[in-house]
Amino acid sequence: MAVRVPILRQGRTLIASFQDDLSDSDILSLQGRVLEDVIRHRATGVIFDVSALDVLDSFGTRTLSDIAAAVQLRGARMAIVGIQPEVAFSMVLLGLTLSDVPTALDLETGLALLARAVP
Amino acid sequence: MTSIELPAEHIQRIERDGDVVAARQTGRRIAAEMGFGRPEQALIATAISELARNIVSYAERGSITFRAEDHAGRRGLRIVAEDRGPGIPDLAQAMSDGFSTGNSLGLGLPGTQRIMDEFDIRSIPGEGVTVTVAKWISR
Amino acid sequence: MDDIIASSTGGHGQPGDGTADQLRWFDITDTDRRRAEALAETAGDVADEIIEAFYAHLLSFEDARRHFRTDAQIERVKRAQQTYFRELLSAPLDAGYVENRRRIGRIHERAGVTPTLYVGAYAYYLHSLGHLVMDRRGQDPQAVPLLLSLIKIAHFDMAQALETYVEAREATIEQREREMSELPTPVLQLRDGLLLIPVVGTLDSYRARSLTVKLLEGIRDHRAKAVVLDITGVAAVDSAVANHLIQTMTAARLMGATSVLTGLSADVAQALVKIGVTGETLRTAGDLQHGIEIAERLLDG
Repeated sequence: MAVRVPILRQGRTLIASFQDDLSDSDILSLQGRVLEDVIRHRATGVIFDVSALDVLDSFGTRTLSDIAAAVQLRGARMAIVGIQPEVAFSMVLLGLTLSDVPTALDLETGLALLARAVP
Repeated sequence: MTSIELPAEHIQRIERDGDVVAARQTGRRIAAEMGFGRPEQALIATAISELARNIVSYAERGSITFRAEDHAGRRGLRIVAEDRGPGIPDLAQAMSDGFSTGNSLGLGLPGTQRIMDEFDIRSIPGEGVTVTVAKWISR
Repeated sequence: MDDIIASSTGGHGQPGDGTADQLRWFDITDTDRRRAEALAETAGDVADEIIEAFYAHLLSFEDARRHFRTDAQIERVKRAQQTYFRELLSAPLDAGYVENRRRIGRIHERAGVTPTLYVGAYAYYLHSLGHLVMDRRGQDPQAVPLLLSLIKIAHFDMAQALETYVEAREATIEQREREMSELPTPVLQLRDGLLLIPVVGTLDSYRARSLTVKLLEGIRDHRAKAVVLDITGVAAVDSAVANHLIQTMTAARLMGATSVLTGLSADVAQALVKIGVTGETLRTAGDLQHGIEIAERLLDG
């Protein structure tokens, strides 16, 4: 399967931009690749940019939570940026509050957030 | 809103992962054409995603039917998710928040009920599950 | 009474649905109507006298007097009263009559004539007619049945007027609620990254939904990091709306913005506690000023 989510590197931060409407297997494949890259590049931060997504359902949210927890175990921090207004409200109504993952409006504020967190 | 040439019914087969994505894209497109606002489109797409995934995860194959409805000026979208899988052994438990038997049920059904205006679920052990949901265009 | 209501609703619809049902409810029969009509011939002569006496009575009250500006107006109203009076005794009590009575009731309601004035006027006419009947036909065995018939018809008439009062009042309340829920909700940018949304009026579920859209889209459009949601001007918040506010603020957090809720009344605070909200899950401040300070600290921190 083609890699649908490229992982970019900026300094010691990894940035995964979700380009399109992702299938469950795309998200699962991302999980493994992100964890490998965190170790390989000794990354201190990971940012998932989901601004292009128009749905984040229970599976997607739970998987993002799992990835964040695993990233943290590897000693890095993760932030999710760019959740769109209607996606955010749908998530809340579904009961998905993602309370264990920091969020930011966009890539720029996300990078600033991680920079503050890692001295 | 003018009446748009919508097919009375649209059926999407759900057999694999990619069909879940296709189903929610179809649902969102129909909802947009019917005149649902963006927040409602997102809710509808999310509900379809949950229902379609349950089919792939638990029944392997099934279908999602979209039906544009008009009752005395009240317009809405009805979505029927059907499968011929094993059924849900304990419906009451499946409908309570936090329950999970596989890797994705859990919040799916009660959450879907919360974001739609109508919700109905029927399960016959050994024969399958039918979930019918509807959302109406608000005034 | 319970029996009557039960049997009325059981077989023939609510008393008050349709003129025929109403007449049955007031127990007004053809006999009642014939008796009143017979009186109309006599009453015609004395209608002027009764109406003159009524207006003398009416205009002795300050409240009533301010409804009239000129003598010509009083004369016009007196002539209308004669028609009203005549119809009370002799017009066929049909749907047209009911509609006409309700129209007159609406005019009075709009003019600010209170139900007390309205009912009082009926009482006065009934009382004057009673005297007339007893003076002229005191010996007639039909006098008392005639009075009873008059009482029924007058009450039927009064009910029509009072119905219009209730309808008008309901329409006013509905109108006001609609106006309150259509008040626009502005999104104000206080400084870079800080939004203030003052909510004024009634926060029904429809408006709560549009507030959600405005707040979340405001965050995206202004790239806001903090939002102060001020509900000082909100009349009432039930637990459904309180829940909706919490969900909106949670969604704001998912987008990366912190929100502060200010202006909670004691009632709203209780509604929030009832749905399980604690100070930890929700940032609140007593007043707007304090809320803005908290939000600014969040931005600078």
